Amino acid sequence: MMTQAPPRPQSKWPFGLFRAARIAAKNLFRHNVVIQYPKERYNQPKRSRWAVEQIFADDGSIKCTACKICEQSCPDHCIEIDVETRQDKTKFIHSWHYERAACMMCGLCVEACPFGAIRMGHDYELAHREPGLKSIDLLTEVEAAGARKKEAEDA
Amino acid sequence: MNPWLVALLRALLILLVMLLNGAMAIYMLRKVLGHAHLRLGPTELGPAGLAQLLADIVKLLVKEDRHPNRSDRWLYIIAPFIVFVPSFMTFAFIPFSNKLVAANPDLSLLMMLAFMSIPPLGIFAAGWASRSKFATIGAVRAVGGMITYEIPLLLSALPPVMLAGSMNLQAIVVSQSTSIWYVLPCLPSFIMFLICAQMETSQTPFDMTEADQELVAGFATEYSAMRFGFMYLAEFAENFVMAALAVTLFLGGWTLPGISAAALGPFAVLVFVAKCYILIFLFMMIRGTYSRYRVDHYMEVGWKRLLPISVVWIMVFAAALRVIAMLKGGA
Repeated sequence: MMTQAPPRPQSKWPFGLFRAARIAAKNLFRHNVVIQYPKERYNQPKRSRWAVEQIFADDGSIKCTACKICEQSCPDHCIEIDVETRQDKTKFIHSWHYERAACMMCGLCVEACPFGAIRMGHDYELAHREPGLKSIDLLTEVEAAGARKKEAEDA
Repeated sequence: MNPWLVALLRALLILLVMLLNGAMAIYMLRKVLGHAHLRLGPTELGPAGLAQLLADIVKLLVKEDRHPNRSDRWLYIIAPFIVFVPSFMTFAFIPFSNKLVAANPDLSLLMMLAFMSIPPLGIFAAGWASRSKFATIGAVRAVGGMITYEIPLLLSALPPVMLAGSMNLQAIVVSQSTSIWYVLPCLPSFIMFLICAQMETSQTPFDMTEADQELVAGFATEYSAMRFGFMYLAEFAENFVMAALAVTLFLGGWTLPGISAAALGPFAVLVFVAKCYILIFLFMMIRGTYSRYRVDHYMEVGWKRLLPISVVWIMVFAAALRVIAMLKGGA
């Protein structure tokens, strides 16, 4: 529950003028709040949410099982997984399509993912000259991870 | 030496001072306002952004000089000069040191104030000739502002004249060096003078004429290229002139207390310029701190506050001077 801060007492004229002058004079010596952007980078908080990324296991294999729950959970319909289910129930991902320009970085897909296969990345420089980069394939032509595949290999 | 040549050299020297002041003041304004707002100001070009100014000059010089359709063409063309030339001429009367003053007539204070009241007419001409509603509103405000601040400005410049017994700026400075700086006996006048100076130079608490958020750039909206540059330069020149006038009338001009003019020698100029820039810094901090008055409040401050206060103060001051003189004479 948010509590409202009590209103600051109003200065009577002309003391408000002096207060403003004091604040402005102090500002001359305070550190500036501006970042010289292309030279300096914004130090992002750990939990900041930007473009969706795949999480890879230590051996470089993907964690996505192509269950398509993220696709269903996305309110903007910006995830589209083109997947082929084989005879032995293993899945092959033709493309894990991500309409990056349409994404509103809500993070629902990450919350919905039962396998922890995606996360919200820290890539915030999403403006591109090439129109092709506004939508990208995060995965192309890879075998989906999953228990079923493992069972199939063991068999 | 040929008197025409001397006059020409003096004029060129004043022009140089004016241009240098413009350069200095623009850079200073950006840096001071930036730091007052927790920004940095220019940083990219040259060391600490010093070369930004050159880029701006190049930009102003090479931009297209446009005339709006159906504008009053000749008025539009000469208006920047009506603003620029009088503010250029006011520099002639500034006593930079005991020798360095371009023109030193007996009534130099009066002439300076007379020349300073011309630029608002140029501003009105510019706004009228532009045939744009922003410019016209800005121009009307400039003229309304002018009749608001001009009288308190003149009245607040009078007490030092009464004390020095002269309208010559050099004489006022000299008489301050033998007594005290006039800021002490005339403190209310000094404060009113600073407020009126802020109005005269149309800086932020009173920048009705070019209120960016309402009027784009006010009277200068339709101007571009060097015509805009002239108006911009005149603005900073006026800023310096008002600071110089305040320093001359109230803060002892080129003198320092306890040091004779001979001892100061050539450093008198530096003392004067340093005092001026401290005052300009104060103007800029005021500009960076306070928000803009509403137009009717602006008029109210001028007509209902500053004018009566300055009239009453002049009367009290004159009476007090008279009483002190009588007491001294009687004793």
